[in-house]
Amino acid sequence: MTRHISTKTFSLGLLLILLLASAAYGVGQVIAQRHQPAPQAGSPMHPTFAFLDANGQNVLTSGQPVSTMQTCGQCHDTDYIASHSFHTDLGLSEYQQSGTSSGPFGKWDPLTYRYLSAAGDERLDLGTAEWIMTYGLRHVGGGPASTSRSGGDLTALPPDETNPETAFLNPDGSVSAWDWKQSGIVEMNCFLCHMDAPDNQARIAALQSGNFAWANTATLASSGLVTETAEGFSWNPEAFTEDGQLRAEYLFVQKPTNENCAQCHGVADRSNDALVITDFSLNNPQTATTGQVISPQKIAESGMNIAGKDDLTRSWDVHAERQLACTDCHFSLNNPAYAIKDDAPDHLLFDPRRLDIGAYLQRPSHNFARGESAQYSVAPELKGTMRRCESCHDAKTSHAQWLPYIDRHMETLACESCHIPQLYAPAIEQYDWTVLTAEGEPLKFFRGIAGNSENSDTITNLVTGYQPVLMMRENVDGDTLLAPYNIITTWYWVYEDANGNTLPVREVDLKAAWFEGQSYAPEVLAAFDANGDGNLDNTELRIDSDTKRETIAARLEDLGLQNVHIAGQMQPYSVNHNVTRGEWAVNDCTACHSTSSRLTQPIQLAAYVPAGVMPEFVDTNVTYSGELTTDDNGALYYNPRPKADGLYVFGSSHISWLDWFGVLAFIGTLLGIAGHSTLRYLAARKQAKHAVTLKKVYMYTAYERFWHWLQVVAIVFLLLTGLVIHLPDKFGAFNFRYMVPIHNALATVLVANAFLSLFYHLVSGEIKQYVPRPRGFFDQAILQSKFYLQGIFKGEPHPFEKTPEKKLNPLQQATYFGLLNVLLPLQVITGILMWGAQTWPEITAALGGLQWLAPLHTLIAWLLASFIVGHVYLTTTGPTILTDIKAMITGWEDVEVHEHEEE
Amino acid sequence: MKKRFPAWLIGLIGILLITLIPIVALWPKETGPSTDPWDYLPEHPTHTDHSKIISGPFETAQDVTRSCLECHEDAASEVMHTTHWTWQSQPVEVPWRDEPVTIGKFNQVNNFCISTAGNESKCMTCHIGYNWDQYPPKGYDFSVEENVDCLVCHADKGLYAKGEYGNPADGVDLVAAAQSVGVPTRENCGGCHFNGGGGNGVKHGDLDESLYYPNEQLDVHMGKYDFLCTDCHQTTEHQVKGRLLGDNYTIDPAEQVQCTDCHVEPPHEDERINAHLDTVACQTCHIPATARKDPTKTYWDWSQAGEDRGDDHYTYLKIKGEFIYERDVTPTYIWFNGNNEYRYLVGDPINTDGPTYINKPAGSISDPTAKIFPFKIMVTIQPYDPVNGYLLTPITAGEGGYWHDFDWDQAFRLMEERLGLPYSGKYDWTETHMYYPQSHMVEPAENALQCNDCHGPDGRLDWEALGYPGDPIEWGGRFNEK
Repeated sequence: MTRHISTKTFSLGLLLILLLASAAYGVGQVIAQRHQPAPQAGSPMHPTFAFLDANGQNVLTSGQPVSTMQTCGQCHDTDYIASHSFHTDLGLSEYQQSGTSSGPFGKWDPLTYRYLSAAGDERLDLGTAEWIMTYGLRHVGGGPASTSRSGGDLTALPPDETNPETAFLNPDGSVSAWDWKQSGIVEMNCFLCHMDAPDNQARIAALQSGNFAWANTATLASSGLVTETAEGFSWNPEAFTEDGQLRAEYLFVQKPTNENCAQCHGVADRSNDALVITDFSLNNPQTATTGQVISPQKIAESGMNIAGKDDLTRSWDVHAERQLACTDCHFSLNNPAYAIKDDAPDHLLFDPRRLDIGAYLQRPSHNFARGESAQYSVAPELKGTMRRCESCHDAKTSHAQWLPYIDRHMETLACESCHIPQLYAPAIEQYDWTVLTAEGEPLKFFRGIAGNSENSDTITNLVTGYQPVLMMRENVDGDTLLAPYNIITTWYWVYEDANGNTLPVREVDLKAAWFEGQSYAPEVLAAFDANGDGNLDNTELRIDSDTKRETIAARLEDLGLQNVHIAGQMQPYSVNHNVTRGEWAVNDCTACHSTSSRLTQPIQLAAYVPAGVMPEFVDTNVTYSGELTTDDNGALYYNPRPKADGLYVFGSSHISWLDWFGVLAFIGTLLGIAGHSTLRYLAARKQAKHAVTLKKVYMYTAYERFWHWLQVVAIVFLLLTGLVIHLPDKFGAFNFRYMVPIHNALATVLVANAFLSLFYHLVSGEIKQYVPRPRGFFDQAILQSKFYLQGIFKGEPHPFEKTPEKKLNPLQQATYFGLLNVLLPLQVITGILMWGAQTWPEITAALGGLQWLAPLHTLIAWLLASFIVGHVYLTTTGPTILTDIKAMITGWEDVEVHEHEEE
Repeated sequence: MKKRFPAWLIGLIGILLITLIPIVALWPKETGPSTDPWDYLPEHPTHTDHSKIISGPFETAQDVTRSCLECHEDAASEVMHTTHWTWQSQPVEVPWRDEPVTIGKFNQVNNFCISTAGNESKCMTCHIGYNWDQYPPKGYDFSVEENVDCLVCHADKGLYAKGEYGNPADGVDLVAAAQSVGVPTRENCGGCHFNGGGGNGVKHGDLDESLYYPNEQLDVHMGKYDFLCTDCHQTTEHQVKGRLLGDNYTIDPAEQVQCTDCHVEPPHEDERINAHLDTVACQTCHIPATARKDPTKTYWDWSQAGEDRGDDHYTYLKIKGEFIYERDVTPTYIWFNGNNEYRYLVGDPINTDGPTYINKPAGSISDPTAKIFPFKIMVTIQPYDPVNGYLLTPITAGEGGYWHDFDWDQAFRLMEERLGLPYSGKYDWTETHMYYPQSHMVEPAENALQCNDCHGPDGRLDWEALGYPGDPIEWGGRFNEK
């Protein structure tokens, strides 16, 4: 028994020892992992350094949070850097001067919704502290997170709940004072962008908990330098040398990579692992608002469920594929390798006087080159500072093989219009803040994903992608170009505050109007819950009746809000990434030159229009020249109108009444001929043939005949090819691309032929045959008309004898006079101007531009076609039907001998 | 006037010419001369049906050959000038030997089944000659025309197979086989070439039985366009174009199949890609992975043979030892100018400081004719003589061979008797490497590697190992170093 017990004790003891040992081992492992230095990915040149706190003391001794301004400021001019960084400022300097701003600090964005309250606002929405907690996750620190609106330190402001800089709105709607001394401020966070693996989650957690002072230190949470404690973080002495310098193996400083930028801007991935995006919420704003994904991978190799994926063997972004990094285009403006010195005189192509690299490293501007895009009017002074497509690419060379009218295309279209034909991730279409879902969110709609009314910003459904809409953008240099955009439409409640400002209804008020406690207010349910199931689904959750609108408005007004109503806006989001090349770009002429033109392709703005309130276009550098329409289901569309942008797109732009007029003129001529010929036929049957004496006359010289038939061939084929160019959809059998050069070549023949024959007629004096003699002209013309209207049916002879010296009767003279002096020259001139629209755009523009020239050209073409029909018919009025045509072929004509003239 | 050629016709022709000439002159320029690869492919003539011509009966396989030679008089002598017959190259001079040497399966070693010499009973299953059992090792008479096996390349593979010593397998109906002859099919070539190294896919990585009926994704030429082997390996007078690196020292480019035989340069629309062509072989981008359907052997440890662990085709066989088979292998990329820098010759000393290269491709970053090229590397632990310092070749197949008696010492002694390479009585194991260039299983163009596959943080090329200071996208290429 004793032995038995002792065995059991022994076993238990052994088990305990084993357990302890394994626990110790486990802890050891965890500690080892914690203290394992991050793999060194930093620049091999960067020296080690000491971490200093705000007072310049080594953090190892003070235990305080790191101060980036002090630490990095040991070598770099951090004041210069912070004051030259829109990423830091976010509009604060503008706000300080004017009380408004074009940046996220001061400009209200209906997607993120929370409104930065200004001094004197009736109701506090976002105080500065809560702005940092809400928007600070996408702010690098410094600027409004460290400096007050009056330019001083935030920590110098005394707690005061009447000042939006020091007030804080509690979830229950009450306001309390914020103590900046206690929370600390957020300095510009160098680590976030210059570290291989910053711990952004820890940083965001510190910001959201209001622990601002430790937020930058939290960025180091997974680097092995710090350990999280109850108060903040404690510094790990093992990561530092005895004299307080960072150990070399812990050094992490590097040039910002795409992953650094991606933390705030959207999906930007460089790895070759199959790409999976699940989150397209505003945490990935560039992706969420436009569907842009920066990745070198082939779309076909992504891990997502994308429609037709197998065939998408293009990369997401050709520049990422070719190893361009974000910073290659969005470079530091004074980086000597990239800096554009545009103040150089015109004769200077390159200014070699560059900043010394050492000086640059000391004071690198953190204002980054940016394009012309419009989604936020952020940093307007930096607009167009980036090198754009044409700075690196010579589009004329690369398109020379196939694209006609390169200049014309390039001055009208931004490269992106053809080279970003489609986005392959979903994008926001509509946010409806007039209603709140049970989760207190707006109703969200997305484009580019199956079942787009799914009110979730996690990708679970089939991604279909979408085609952006083309809108006219005005660049800073005044050029206007069609460029691709997503348009996001938002609706929300606004009210008028005591100061007469129209402001968005605060989220807290909106929730108070919709909810009582955790559930919808009974009054709201009564108005909205059509099926009475106690829940509001997406179709019920829609302000589509006066009752619903008034219910919410009344509940908002009960909260003390004045003049509550619904407003809406449409904001274009520029699409500039996800460029593709070659066969993947738009390269089919009829993609634009057709009735279903890319240029007129509408984009759905919203599934419905809340309370019938049409959204307003946000004023940007984009021209809203299109039309808003709704379909039978109430969906709202934006329809671009190239004509309103001053564009005439062959094959797409038609003036329909003009075409109808042309067709009618043509058909009218045909009908007239049909009537006239029927009468002639009937008359000829009734009547014995009038005996005429005929004689053979050499009527047309060889050159005249040659000249005539050459013109026939040219004009007939010009009309045919012109028709195909004008209406490519109706003549799909003909390749639009080849019609234009044929048309141009034929026109060259026509013009050359016309000039040679003019020369011939002038030199030979034959020109006088074409000049109507004023004397007796009208009498003669009437005589000739009477013949066609009466005499011809009676078999009378032609009133004027046709001789080689006088081939044309007075009507012909008048017709040809008009034709050769008016229609033909006009047609040639309009044609040349249209052809020359790319060579001399200013001349074409001065004469009204393509939108005038092209319809005129079309009209004259219809008239010429009608003339030809009549002309051919009248050749049949000779002694026999084919006499005149034969004469134009052989030169010899049987002409009537007019006895009265012989007398 | 009426007799003469009608003037209007002249006029009409003139007018048409005048209209057409400017259209032609102003026509948008099309890209250069035709680059259609189809223009370079051989035609497939309908093969004469031999079932009415050949009646037999045939006593022996040699009778079949004699029958063939009645009409195709030169066929055997043509075949006898090819390496399919000789299994060795013309004598070549190599820097580390005084005398010219020949290289081939007949007299050299590899790091799979090691040596054909001495193992004729099995190995000669893939030789296009009969009667290896009638001759001593190394004593085969290569001048006997009737020993040429016409059927293995020309007969329907459903009707013909080879057995031991290169003779027809038992039970083959020689008349039926002879009547079925035609142009060599994938089955004729694949029967040996897909099974190199002793089984399906063992040796090459880019050649295995999945190529009998590949889909477009596996091999665009054979899968999408229904190529035969002989469409690329074009043949004149039985001389088949294309040489195996491992069985040669240097290879005359004229004897090698090149992508550019059909794909005239520059093959890509994108200038940037064409700029790679001086440095990167077509295969590098267009064969992103190898052994994509059937696995290939990448490691073989002969020293583990002889144990009763239980046989598994892919991991262990008692007669052969331990293996690793791999599928969808990312190739190894090295500089390659088409030749070997070194080919191990029987009797050469092994490398005591690291692996011994059975063959080592020639080329370096400073060799302008070399390009970055994909290889399968075969790593083997094989026997050597620690006293004499060279690789040993065992008798494996047949009486007294290792596969019968599992006695290495005996296998080496027997081989010494047969071949005369002295064996000290001691053996040990050493690591050898062989390089197989990857040229088959070309994927469709859209599957080709793109920039980020090699360049950038996640790229598959080790730039510094290739001799670059860093990624050439930043550091410049070898011809335009920055």
